[in-house]
Amino acid sequence: MYRTVAQLDQLGGLLAQFFPQHCQRFQLPELSVLGRPVFALRVRAGAGDNRRGVLLVGGVHARELMNPDALIELAVQLIVSYRNGSDIVLGGRVWQATDIKVLMETLDIYIVPCTNPDGRDYVMTVDDLWRKNRRDNPETTCDGVDLNRNCDLLWGVAQGQTSCSPCSDVFAGPAAFSEPETRNVKFLLDTRRVDCFVDVHSYSELVLYPWGHVPTQTTDSTKRFTTLPTGTCQPITDPTYQEYMTPRDEQRFQTVAQRIVTAIADVRGRAYTPQTGFGLYGTTGTHSDYAYARHIADPNTHKTYGYTVETGPWVGNARDSFHPADPEPIKLDTKSGLLALMQQCICAIELIGVALLGGEHEVDALRRIRDDVLATTPAGRDWILLFEDLQTRVLPVVLADDALAERAASVVSRAGRAAADETASIEPELVADTVRILSDVARRADDPEVSAGVAAANEALEAAGGRPVAALLERLVARGPRR
Amino acid sequence: MRFEATVHATTRSAELHAVDSLDLDRVPDPEGGVRMLVGPEDLTRLVAEGYEVRVQSVAPVAPLDPGLVSDEADVRAWFEDMTGDARGEG
Repeated sequence: MYRTVAQLDQLGGLLAQFFPQHCQRFQLPELSVLGRPVFALRVRAGAGDNRRGVLLVGGVHARELMNPDALIELAVQLIVSYRNGSDIVLGGRVWQATDIKVLMETLDIYIVPCTNPDGRDYVMTVDDLWRKNRRDNPETTCDGVDLNRNCDLLWGVAQGQTSCSPCSDVFAGPAAFSEPETRNVKFLLDTRRVDCFVDVHSYSELVLYPWGHVPTQTTDSTKRFTTLPTGTCQPITDPTYQEYMTPRDEQRFQTVAQRIVTAIADVRGRAYTPQTGFGLYGTTGTHSDYAYARHIADPNTHKTYGYTVETGPWVGNARDSFHPADPEPIKLDTKSGLLALMQQCICAIELIGVALLGGEHEVDALRRIRDDVLATTPAGRDWILLFEDLQTRVLPVVLADDALAERAASVVSRAGRAAADETASIEPELVADTVRILSDVARRADDPEVSAGVAAANEALEAAGGRPVAALLERLVARGPRR
Repeated sequence: MRFEATVHATTRSAELHAVDSLDLDRVPDPEGGVRMLVGPEDLTRLVAEGYEVRVQSVAPVAPLDPGLVSDEADVRAWFEDMTGDARGEG
């Protein structure tokens, strides 16, 4: 069953009414083309500002009906899990209450269940295969703009499945962000801290990440979309052009996409495929690529990792694939994948260092080492991968114990100060404390993966005591973790 | 009337990727091919361009099956069922 726009809005309103401490509902600044309000939810628990943020949007394409329902249900389940201390059970995947607690207390989770309410209403009342919004395109009998071609990223470059023709179902619109529905998404990216973004579509069982317009390459940083003309209504003229992405970001996209895929498979074994958007077909002006591209086009904007998830399988025809008679199993898959994305959006160092300690400078120093040193070699990136894997597993353990969290915060702070001066020697006491706390965490986590990762980290750390920070970094970028 | 159809290149047509320039409604295809929702005029145009078009099914313009739309009572009942304990604590 699928909810109407009014019913989706009603559920958001009920959540905010009954759980105002966990759900804030607000109307986005622009009405839809036909004058409908568009609502966003902010879901969270506890106090604290400047959290990392996740933005989930659904219903961009009108006929992809499952996803607005999945998103509003996920909001309800997050809050209920937090309130009751209950697990979220999604088929064979159980999301522990402790994991949900961490998500709720550390993230701002923004959800726009139904980005294109006019389109959804049209699907339910006129044409169940309608895709676009309901823009009346002047001087033509064709209506609608494809909202997922309307963003300001190579807007109007007719690459692959993008068109300047109003009669096309992939019509990019008369200008970038010409549509109020896309401006609402931009508003959230402009005004909220959004670290991770997912635009949920259907169908094909894919997890897509940038780039969507051409193949991605990691070797020639002069190849940037910012150098290309927009609004040409032609494909990119150089058929050999490939878009640059840093190796670190490519690895990050691939890693997180794989974790989303794994979390989905855990539900009932569906095998989603992670790939670049271009691997599906060429596109420009999409929400998820725009969300990621913003920080490249304008370095003053916050970096957002943007994904598109294509939920649900092909079931023999387009109609039943877009809106199957029983969408419930697919919604379970979707929710599990989105929870995995949220989990990957947490940065333990930032959380412990800034939220618990207020040590912004120390965390900045560690972040610089991650991005400017470790990310530059495959071995260094393997260390980043190891850390990102470990943090997801151990964070609930650390945050559940105030004394442990305090010790962790102290170590982060001291490590951050040490990292600020690469010529200084690493105090043997800092190494000993770090090894001790990592060992404690590994013992409590009772997870072989954590034990193996901690052993690898401790091996590198124990060789670092009394030596300059630079020596440790040289070792890390030369030799990855032994696992 | 509207059809769901797959499109295939022939010796008389352009390469298959060129079909993108015809501004038709392409939907994902399980085999990675070109699958579209097209009206009769579109079908004619595709054939005139030299493509082979295989109509897979009729896809009439019609609203969503009303049997797939939730009713008001179900929505409220679902919310109350899901949140009962959590609201009780509030």
